[in-house]
Amino acid sequence: MSTVDTPTRPDPLAVFTELSVALTGFDRVELAGTGLIEQHYDTVLRLIGEREAGHLFQAAADALDADRGDPEGTALRTQVVENKRYGPVIINLIKLWYLGSWYPLPGSYADVNGSTADDVEHVVSAQAYREGLVWIAAGAHPMGAKAPGFGSWAEPPTIVVL
Amino acid sequence: MQDDITNADTNYDLVIVGGGIAAATVAKTVIDKAAAGRPARHPRILILEAGRATAMSADKYDTYVEAYQQALAKVPNAPYPPTVSAPQPNVLDIGRPVMGPDGTTKIPSANGYFVQMGPLPFGSDYARALGGTTLHWLGTCLRMLPNDFKMWTNYGHGVDWPLSYDDLKPYYERAEWDIIGVSANVEDQNYPGIGGDPAKFFQSSNTNKFPDGAYHFPMERIPSSYLDDYLAKKSAGLVVKLKDSAGKEYSFPILVCNTPVGRNSQPAPGYQPVGAVGNADRGQRCEGNSSCIPICPVQAKYNALKTLYELIVKYPDRDPRDGEKPRARVAIRSQCVVSKVQHTQTKGKQGTVTGVAFLRYSDDGSPAAESTVTADRYVLAANAIENATLLLASDAANNSDQVGRNLMDHPLLLTWGLLEDNAGAFRGPGSTSGIPAFRDGAYRSDRTAFRVEIGNWGWNFPENAPYDTVHDLVGGARTGTAQLYGRALRTRLGQILPNQFRIAWELEQDPEPTNRVTIDDRYLDALGNHRPVIHYDLSPYVRAALPWAAEASRQLFEQLGIGTPAHRPDYQPGDYTHWDPNDPAAVTYDGQTYWVRGAGHVVGTHRMGADPAHSVVDSYQRSHDLPNLYIVGCGSMPTLGTSNPTLTMTALAIRTGDHIAGLLKGQDA
Repeated sequence: MSTVDTPTRPDPLAVFTELSVALTGFDRVELAGTGLIEQHYDTVLRLIGEREAGHLFQAAADALDADRGDPEGTALRTQVVENKRYGPVIINLIKLWYLGSWYPLPGSYADVNGSTADDVEHVVSAQAYREGLVWIAAGAHPMGAKAPGFGSWAEPPTIVVL
Repeated sequence: MQDDITNADTNYDLVIVGGGIAAATVAKTVIDKAAAGRPARHPRILILEAGRATAMSADKYDTYVEAYQQALAKVPNAPYPPTVSAPQPNVLDIGRPVMGPDGTTKIPSANGYFVQMGPLPFGSDYARALGGTTLHWLGTCLRMLPNDFKMWTNYGHGVDWPLSYDDLKPYYERAEWDIIGVSANVEDQNYPGIGGDPAKFFQSSNTNKFPDGAYHFPMERIPSSYLDDYLAKKSAGLVVKLKDSAGKEYSFPILVCNTPVGRNSQPAPGYQPVGAVGNADRGQRCEGNSSCIPICPVQAKYNALKTLYELIVKYPDRDPRDGEKPRARVAIRSQCVVSKVQHTQTKGKQGTVTGVAFLRYSDDGSPAAESTVTADRYVLAANAIENATLLLASDAANNSDQVGRNLMDHPLLLTWGLLEDNAGAFRGPGSTSGIPAFRDGAYRSDRTAFRVEIGNWGWNFPENAPYDTVHDLVGGARTGTAQLYGRALRTRLGQILPNQFRIAWELEQDPEPTNRVTIDDRYLDALGNHRPVIHYDLSPYVRAALPWAAEASRQLFEQLGIGTPAHRPDYQPGDYTHWDPNDPAAVTYDGQTYWVRGAGHVVGTHRMGADPAHSVVDSYQRSHDLPNLYIVGCGSMPTLGTSNPTLTMTALAIRTGDHIAGLLKGQDA
């Protein structure tokens, strides 16, 4: 955790969390409720390496700072999402949150950055599957978990309108 | 390890090969019926399962649920660990064999357990594990219709059964009550070909249990999904009209009907739902886990472990203790792959089964121990394809040359669309309703009947949703830049996913001698047992139903307001059905390409019949050639109808159990 008297570098986990909020459309409380912030943070570090992750988080921190007061999130889009260096990792991070799976980074990314042994398609954990945000976005529940109860499927569906 | 099974002095009353629903049903029925006889008899039964034991306690069962959640491809067999010693087919292995210009197989597709000789790949799987394929069945429990039993007489296709619907009816009732536990309401069962009155069709002769014969199921219907109700409202009054090649028009009034299922619901008075094995409080009701296939996490859906568990608890395989009443004994042994049925039969003659040889394996790769076990009677209940390969490898019960032939499935034609409204997809059991209109009619002289199953899980089956939906929306596969993210992504997914729906048009397949399971010494598994070598195609009779199903779908989608063809990744309301010619299961008819999927309904490899020259077993599933051998399961069904076959298999197994109980020796085990 960052301390009050060392403001020079933002806490990477805090940046990761704020970045995740911006990329998923789920707020901080919803993401914390999955219990997966640290696991997903670790996964990104493990899959792209700490050095590259450090660059990504620095760029994200700068962009998120620049975007304060900009609901469009222009800086994040132009400096991170559309940045050739970070774009493929951003796609993977969105899918990690929504689906609980990691997908291999494109060959063009690996040509520049190399790849790690785990950079293959896999379900990160059973919990990551269960907490996939796609199910909430769909107004449903993960198939095979968090059963909503007898007869719930007969009720009219509801979706949180943002 | 084998000593407890194969003591030289141990001769079982019954050895059953296979540990699925047919095996469990025969064992339970024989025991119950024999105990109720005069004098009471108490058989000793051994069940040999080729696969691994599946957890018989609720906490261990949870590990299979976890395995499913963690599986990359959530296919039907995903939760159940494979073993090379008793390999099982996997739908991911389905490939198209390469055929030569003369129609013979040039290169079989043999990358999985099956050796697919084509021209079409057989598209279904099954589980080799204790509990069998009921571990991942959907649970649909439709009875066959009266005309399904007389296809030759009524429609000039297939063959007639040696049994009628009325013969089987009391066994259907017992299957629904005593084995599976079926949830349904009689008044919902509006099928064609039953005279228009479901109450009359289900009228029971068991007036002790059902006063005035007014039948009811052991549990109330599973509530229909919101999607079912949406479709029912939108399609109200629709009459689908289909023309045959002579221009004759047939009308099909569309009625969405709740489907009977082996899934726990509100019980009728006097019925106790059966919960999870080892934890009866769990699974008393379907909780809407939306994963019946491949695994019901709470076991609210029937699986054969429930019946097997009841047997080993009530009839442990040990001598009765002091004061214990005489009772049957049941031993279940897993990881025992039966490799040969030993017998005295010579070609054209009858004989006797003298034993079964089996291999018990421990770890994959280490040698298996070979043993033989003997009994007065033997039951093969290993799945239609496994029964056939075992009989062929044993050169047994095949004077008719019908073993392995007439392999059938319900080829599924999928159609799918995006509705204009949120219909609540991805909630509830895989299917709760269907449209029975096309299950019977005079048109069956020209083309097969079909059943219409409404799917509650969006495009999970046809388009790997929600995964591929997320991939489409996030995009960036080529550019490396996410197209949609944040709140916009979340909102858009909420507009698309719950509006997805699909229908499976399940075509009846007719029996053809050339659709067959064979064996070939070149294709063996790790223990040296024969892998199934499968020749498979769809007859012109089945193919002729494809344009009808497609046209019925078109008219229905039109009525639903989604008749406009559309394509991913547009995601506007419309009809997203597409059948690609390069799909492994592409079939053509009249110049049009379709593709079909397997339904997991593996049927017809040891057909029953009255004439030993043309059938493998009699109506009791007793081998014509080896009278102390019973070959049970879906393989005995001469034709398939449009019902998912498990309920019919169970009814037949009860009838077999009654029959065997009547033949047991008088003394107690």
